[in-house]
Amino acid sequence: MMKGLGPLLRKNLSKGQIIGYSAANLVGLTIILCGILFYCDSRNHRKTDDRFFSEDYIVVSKEVKGVNLSPVGFSEEEIRDLAAQPWVKKLGRFTSADFSVSASINMGTKGMSSYLFLESVPEDFFDNLPAGWDFSPDRKFVPIVLNKDYLALYNFGFALPQGLPQLSEEMIGAVPLRLSLSGKNGAFDVFDAAVVGFSSRLNTIAVPQDFMEWANKRYGSGYQSETSRLILKIDLLNPGDSEKYLADHQLEIAGDKESDSKVSKFMGVVSGVVSATGFVISLLALFIMLLSITLLLQKSRSMIRNLFLLGYSPSTVGAYFQKRIVALNFIIACISVGLAFVCRLIWHKPLIALGLGDGNVLFTIGAAILYLILISGINVMVVRRLMLSIWKS
Amino acid sequence: MQEIKIERLLPNVFKGMEESSRIRESQIWEVDSFTFKRGCKLCLQAESGGGKSSLLSFIYGNRNDYSGKILFDGRNVRTLSISDWCEIRRSHIALLPQEMRLFPELTVKENINLKNQLDLNKTPAEIEQMLEQLGVADKIDSPVVKLSIGQQQRVAIVRTLCQPFDFIFLDEPVSHLDKENNRIVASIIEKEAGKYGAGIIATSVGNHLLLDKPEFVDL
Repeated sequence: MMKGLGPLLRKNLSKGQIIGYSAANLVGLTIILCGILFYCDSRNHRKTDDRFFSEDYIVVSKEVKGVNLSPVGFSEEEIRDLAAQPWVKKLGRFTSADFSVSASINMGTKGMSSYLFLESVPEDFFDNLPAGWDFSPDRKFVPIVLNKDYLALYNFGFALPQGLPQLSEEMIGAVPLRLSLSGKNGAFDVFDAAVVGFSSRLNTIAVPQDFMEWANKRYGSGYQSETSRLILKIDLLNPGDSEKYLADHQLEIAGDKESDSKVSKFMGVVSGVVSATGFVISLLALFIMLLSITLLLQKSRSMIRNLFLLGYSPSTVGAYFQKRIVALNFIIACISVGLAFVCRLIWHKPLIALGLGDGNVLFTIGAAILYLILISGINVMVVRRLMLSIWKS
Repeated sequence: MQEIKIERLLPNVFKGMEESSRIRESQIWEVDSFTFKRGCKLCLQAESGGGKSSLLSFIYGNRNDYSGKILFDGRNVRTLSISDWCEIRRSHIALLPQEMRLFPELTVKENINLKNQLDLNKTPAEIEQMLEQLGVADKIDSPVVKLSIGQQQRVAIVRTLCQPFDFIFLDEPVSHLDKENNRIVASIIEKEAGKYGAGIIATSVGNHLLLDKPEFVDL
């Protein structure tokens, strides 16, 4: 920058226009960044809430109508069709036990036993496998993951009215169980078992897949029944027509997945509206800026023409404005990022309580950089065009 | 640059007046060819409204509302790029416009520096000496807006001289100056032009620049 050019051009800048442009840009960009930050936070399902399953898994089964004498299950073709849906990232089958299971608890002098059902799902549908989640016939031990609702049902629906003690998760885990497995082929064995974990999402009594395959072979009838339940890893960000598909095929979702999906959609709508508002304000800010630059350069038209007559080039004079506008945009972007993070404090705690929050901040910073590049690019281009138009006039 | 040639040049505002006595008697307008040679000393005389400022604006690339051709060493100026013009205005042609085009909000020094810093052609001492000769050295830190028209004219002359040039065009340079200042201006300009072997072309409507043995041309 030529010395002396600065004071001359600075005297022709309008403070009001610069403040107007900065304020509009600051508000617009801050809102956009808040929207993105909120979007990332609301889409970030923290793993600590459910120890074993991440939240983008759903369990589907077919709707049972009236009395079904034959089991309701999925045909291979239906499974293939479901797996091919764009919103299905991965599909796993629940394997049911093809044998009778009864579990007994020995509590000193008192004993208690009950028939049970067992199911298994492939291990790669677990986020974190509970310790000891394996099976070997030699060890004669079966680890079990129990649905949290079952414990709640026992504690609050059964134990309380019956005068039985209420049990914590840790206590249940410490209780030694005995599983008696008997097949129609006459095979019979007794296994030790223990509840090694709880899941609020997996609506079953789950055992390792290895165990289930081994046991079905040993005690089962050999007849492979249709899969009755499927576990799907779904793309929450692009749910597409998943709801319609499930309704059309009369599939039911187990547990609270539907409400989760609605909350997720609501969060998406909120962040979408916030981002769109920010975008509109930023667009207005951009127009204010274009108008300001045009007015400023029009006002300084005769001065700029005089500079050209002295031998200054449009690029030299334009560079003065371009550098200052880019620097201003940079400051605005930095302040906006700071403000967005301050605003985040408003929703951070409530989202953490919902098991969300702490999303990746790189998207927000990336968006600010992108905005900076984009708006500065437009600014630079506009100044260049105006300079050339003054030269040609 | 060795020569500036004009061929059948006519401002668009004079279109349709080709047969008028003003155009027919002119040594510049609509003539087949007229050449400003490096080293020349010309006084262009015309009545007010005769197109003096227009001619200088056409040559300086500030306006292009004319027919005919202007050639710098054979090259049509209509083919020059923006960077060509910037280079010409910085190093080959100096122009003192009639309206001076100083920046009123800046001081005398700032106005002159704005031109001088393009090539750093003059030292501060040289600038001060020229201002001294023209009697405006004491105004160096005053804003131009506070100067009289005559003082502004002298400041504008100094600013015009703060560059190397092959030709210097001066549009009524002494219209607001007395005879004594006219002589001083003429001597400074002749001295500076002599350094570069440059041509001097000054316009007037009567009070012409007192150059040493100039050639008079009627526009």
